[in-house]
Amino acid sequence: MKKVLLAVLAVIMVTVFGFSGVLAEGTIKNDLVIGVAQEINELNPMMQNDQINNNCFALTHERLVFLDNGHGYEIYPEIAESWEWTDETHLVFHLNPNVKFSNGTPLTADDVVFTLNRARSDDPTLSKVSGQLGLVTDVSKIDDYTVQVTTSAYSNELIYNFGSYPLAIQSKAAYEDPANTAPWLIGSGPYSFKEWQEGQYVTFTKDEDYWNKENRPSFANEITFKFLLEASQRAIALQNGEIDVCVDPPVTDLRFLEDDENVTVHTQAGTRLFYLGMNVAKDPFTNEKLRQALSCAVDKETVIAIVLDGLGKWQTSVLNRGAWSFLDNDEVEGGYTYDVDRAKALLAEAGYEPGALTVELFTPTDDPYKTIAPIIQANLKEIGVNVEIKSMDQATLKTECAAGHQQMFLWRWNIGARVDETYRELFYTGFPTNYAQLSDPVVDDLADKVLTEMDQDKRLQYSYDYQNYMVEKVYQIPLYVPDLVIAYNKGLVVSDSYDEPGVMFAGGGNHFWARAYVEE
Amino acid sequence: MKLFNKKKTDGTEMIGRSLGQETWRRLRKNKGAMMGIAFIILLLIGTALASIFYDYDKDIIGMTRDRFMAPNWQHPFGTDNMGRDIFARVIYGAKYSLFISFGSTLLGLVVGLALGAVAGYYGGLVDNIIMRLTDIFYSIPYIMIAVVVVSILGTSMSSLLFAMALGTFCNFARIGRASVMTVRDMEFVEAGRAIGLPTWKIILKHILPNCLSAIIVQTTLKVGSNIISASSLSFLGVGITPPTPEWGAMLSDGRSYIRSSGWMCLFPGLAIMFTVLALNLLGDGLRDAMDPKLKR
Amino acid sequence: MFRYILKRIIILIPTLLATSLLIFWAMDLAGGDPVDQILPENATYEQKDALREEMGLNDPFFIRYFRYIGGILKGDMGESYITHRDVFQTFMGRLNMTLLLGGSALIFACIISIPLGIYTALHQNTWKDTAAMIIALFGVSMPNFWLGLMLILLFSLKLGWLPSGGTGGFKYLILPSVTVGLGLAALLTRTTRSAMLDVLRQDYMTTAKAKGASRNRVIYNHGLRNAIIPIITAIGMQFSYVMTGSALAETVFGWPGIGRLVVDSINKRDTPMVTGSIILCCVLMAVINLVVDIVYAFCDPRIKAQYSGKG
Repeated sequence: MKKVLLAVLAVIMVTVFGFSGVLAEGTIKNDLVIGVAQEINELNPMMQNDQINNNCFALTHERLVFLDNGHGYEIYPEIAESWEWTDETHLVFHLNPNVKFSNGTPLTADDVVFTLNRARSDDPTLSKVSGQLGLVTDVSKIDDYTVQVTTSAYSNELIYNFGSYPLAIQSKAAYEDPANTAPWLIGSGPYSFKEWQEGQYVTFTKDEDYWNKENRPSFANEITFKFLLEASQRAIALQNGEIDVCVDPPVTDLRFLEDDENVTVHTQAGTRLFYLGMNVAKDPFTNEKLRQALSCAVDKETVIAIVLDGLGKWQTSVLNRGAWSFLDNDEVEGGYTYDVDRAKALLAEAGYEPGALTVELFTPTDDPYKTIAPIIQANLKEIGVNVEIKSMDQATLKTECAAGHQQMFLWRWNIGARVDETYRELFYTGFPTNYAQLSDPVVDDLADKVLTEMDQDKRLQYSYDYQNYMVEKVYQIPLYVPDLVIAYNKGLVVSDSYDEPGVMFAGGGNHFWARAYVEE
Repeated sequence: MKLFNKKKTDGTEMIGRSLGQETWRRLRKNKGAMMGIAFIILLLIGTALASIFYDYDKDIIGMTRDRFMAPNWQHPFGTDNMGRDIFARVIYGAKYSLFISFGSTLLGLVVGLALGAVAGYYGGLVDNIIMRLTDIFYSIPYIMIAVVVVSILGTSMSSLLFAMALGTFCNFARIGRASVMTVRDMEFVEAGRAIGLPTWKIILKHILPNCLSAIIVQTTLKVGSNIISASSLSFLGVGITPPTPEWGAMLSDGRSYIRSSGWMCLFPGLAIMFTVLALNLLGDGLRDAMDPKLKR
Repeated sequence: MFRYILKRIIILIPTLLATSLLIFWAMDLAGGDPVDQILPENATYEQKDALREEMGLNDPFFIRYFRYIGGILKGDMGESYITHRDVFQTFMGRLNMTLLLGGSALIFACIISIPLGIYTALHQNTWKDTAAMIIALFGVSMPNFWLGLMLILLFSLKLGWLPSGGTGGFKYLILPSVTVGLGLAALLTRTTRSAMLDVLRQDYMTTAKAKGASRNRVIYNHGLRNAIIPIITAIGMQFSYVMTGSALAETVFGWPGIGRLVVDSINKRDTPMVTGSIILCCVLMAVINLVVDIVYAFCDPRIKAQYSGKG
C-alpha cells in the first residue's frame, strides 16, 4: 500500500509542477486589463466594422476627425486640423502636418487618399466597408496636407463617416513595402499592437514617440483586452483583481459588485435598440391595424424588468436613443403603447378573431433574445395571437431576414452617430438590411430629405416627421435600449469630456480607452 | 467471444417467457434496480399528472412579480428569472427529456441493429461499407455530429432526436453485427436457410433473439446517457426552442444567474442525475439478472 | 502486426474522405450565407456579390469540395471566415489547451479510480465497496457540465478558493479538469473493480498465494499487471468521452479549447473552421483509436475477445 501511495503522490507532484510550469508562461501582467465579452476578429480596420475591434483600433489608429460618441456626437480635429464643404459636392480636409505613424514616417495627404480609395474599393479582399463611402465619387490630393473629397450629393452626415474606425488612416508606404506582411498594423495612434493570443487576450503597448503626446498623452504602458465570455466570470475576475474593468457585468449580480468597496459600478443611457421586427411586405403584416394591435400588446416594461432587471429604457421611436433629434416616449405623437384592451379592439378591427392567427417569430438562440421571445409569446397570447418561436443562430437569422423569409423576428440595431444608419439602412426601399422589407415612398422621401436638407431647422422637422410617421404605421415595434453598465476598479479614471484624460464611455459601447489608466 | 456466445446459444429455447420470468425473479432481489424502476415509474406518473394539474400557460408563465424566489413551501424548487415555478418546470420538462432520449435510443436501436445485422449476415463489401460508415459516426464526438445536424435541420425537437439517434446507432450496429456473426453459421440458421426462410426472417426470428439481453441492457444504459447528451446539447444552445422546459435548457438559462440564484442550476441538474441514476441502476440490475455469469 | 497497422491506416483514408464530404455537404446545406457573416451587416449587394464570386461560392458543390480537398493535400485547410486565420494553426493552437485539459482530467481520473477500483475489488461486498460503487454510479449519472456549475457555485462563489473560469496559472486548471475527470473516474473505478475481480478469480493468483508470496506482492505484481490491460483499453475507449466532456467543460469554464472552437464556429457559420476542425478531430480520434487497438492487440488477444462482447 505504501508503494502505491508513494507512486500516486509522485504522479500528483509531477502533474502539479509540470503543468504549472507550462502555464506560468501564460500569466498576464499588464497595466490596464479590460474584461470583454467578445473576442476581436480582425486587425485591419477596413476589413470589418465590429465594435470590439473598433475599440482596439481606437488605440492604434487615428481618424481624420475624432467622433465623441459618448457626449452628444461632437466632432473634434484629429488627423485633420479643419474641414469644410467648399460647395455642395466638395469636402476639403486640412491635415495636421505634425502627424506621424508609429514607425516614424509622417502622415501626409498621400496616405489619406490611399486609405480612402482603398476603403472605397468593392474588392472584398481590400475593403469590406465600401458602403460607408457610397456617396463619394473621388478623393484627391490638393497639396501634401490638403485632401479633397468629391461626392455625388451633399450629405449632412458624411463627416461622421470619417470619424469611424474602419476609415482610420493607414500608411501607404507600409503597404508598398514588400517586407511588411501586416501593413495594416501601422497607424498613428498612441499604442501599438503587441500580441493576440487566440481565445484569451489581445495586448497593446504604449508608443513612447506618439506624435501628439504633449496634447493628448496616454498613461497605461500596456492595455489588454481579456476575452471572458461569461458575464458572471467577468464580474468575479474583476472582484479578484484579475481585470480592472468588466464591460457588461451581469445585471442580476450587480449588487455583489455594488457591495464591493474596490469596485465602482457606472450606469448611463445606452443607444443599442432591441426591436421586434415584422416582414411588412408579406401577409399578415401588411395589415396596419394588426401591427398596431401587436404594438399595444407588447409589455415593454416587463421585458425590461425580466431581461435587464430594470436597467433599460423602453421606447416608441425607431431611432436609437441619444441620436440627434431622437423623440422620447412623451414627445412622439400618438403611439401604440401597452394597452391590452386597445390591442384586442385593434385586433378585431384588423379582422382577426382571437386565436385565429398564428405567426412565426424568428429569434437568435442566444441571450437576450431567447429570454425576450417567450415574453412576447405570452404577451401576444393574451390578445389571442399565437406565436411559434423558431430559434436559429444569428448567421441564419440575418440571411433569412435579408431574404424576407421571416414573419416576425427579434433583432437589434446600433448606430455610430448618423441617423441615416437607421432611416436608410433599416427602412429604405431595397436596402440589404431592410429586414422589414419595407417599401414606402413617404419613408424614403423623408430619409432623403433628412440626409440632404441644408436648412437645419427644416431638417430637424423632417426627422420628427419621420419618427412620428413610423410610430403611426408601426413598421417596427421598438422594444428597449439597455443602459450601458460598466463595473471597474475604483482607481480607473473616467473622463467627462474630450479634453480630460481617462476613459470615455459611450452608450453604444464604442468606448475610448486610449487615455485610460488606473490610479493606485 | 465464441466461448461466451456458444453457451448462450445453447440456451436458445430458454429465451421467451421462461427467461423473462427468470430475469424478473433475479431482478426483484436487486434493491438498486427496484429503486431505479420505482423512480422511473414515479417520474412517469408525475409527468402524466403534471399535464393534468398544471396549465402551462397559466401556472408557469406570467408570474413576473415572483422572480428569483429561493425554494420555499409554495415553490419547493424556487422560481426562475421569469417567475416560473421551477418544480413545475422540472416535472413538466421530464416528458421532453424522456421523449427525446427514449425516441432517439429506439430510433438508433432499430436502424443500428438493422444495419449491423445486415453487415454481419452478408459480410464482405456490404459489411465493410456499413461498418466504415459506423466508424465515421463513432469517431466524431456526438456533440459535433449533433451540432452540425441541428444547424442544418434547424432547432427543433425532431432534429435533436434525429441528431442523437445518429450518435446512438453505431453502438447498436456493433452489437447487432457481432451477434449475427457469431450465430450466422450455426446449425439452426443453416436449417432455417435450408427450409427456404427469407433472410430477413432468419435474422429477425433466429438471430436477433440471441442478442436480446445485450440489447435490453444496452438500451437501458443508452437511454440514460442520451438524457445527458440531450441536456448537454440544449445546454450548448443547440437543442430546443425556448420556452420549452427541457432540463438542459433550464440549466443553460440558470447559468447566468448562478451567483445570485443557484437553485436555478441545482434542481434541473438533480433531476437529470437521478433519472439517469435510476436508469443506470436498472441497467446494471438487468445485466446481472439476465446473465448471472457477468455478475461481478 | 505491421500489416495490421498498415491496413488500419489505409482504411483511414476513405473514412476521412467520406467524413470530409459529409461535413462539407452538411455545412453547405445549413442555412445562413457565409457572406453575411464576413461582411459588416450593412454591406451592399454589390459587395456581397463580389465577395461570393471571389470566394467561389457560386461554383457547383463538387468543384468547391474538390478545391477544398486539393487545398488540404497541399497542407492548406483554408482560412477562417471570421478571424481570417489559418484553420490548421488555429486548431493546433487550441488543441494544446484541450490536450492539457483532457490530459490532466485523465490523470486526475486515474489517480482516483485505479486505487479505488483495486480497493473495492479487494473488499468486495463490504459496506465500503457498496458505498464506493454507489458514489461511482452517481458519478456516471451526472452531467459533467452541471457538475462544473456546481463546483463553480461551491469553490469559486461560496468559498472563493478557485477562479470560476478563464486561463492562467495552475489554479485555473483545477475545476475544469475535475469536472471532466470525475465522470471518467467513476467509469474507470467500475472498470478497474471488475477487471481486478476477474483477475483475482484466476488460478495463477491462487498459485501465487500458495507459493507463499505476500498478499501485497500477489495483488500488485500478479493482479494489477494483468488487470491493467482492460483498464488501459477502457481509458482508450473513453477518449471520445474526454473530448465531448472537454467541449462542455470548455463552455462552462470559458476554456479556449477545440470543443468551444467548433461550437463557436458553427454558431458563426465559419464553414472552413468547422469542416477543418471536425476533420482534424476525426484524425485525432482515429490515431488514438489506432494506438489503443495496437496496444490492445499486442497485449493480449484473449482479453480482447473476452471484453469486446460485453459493450
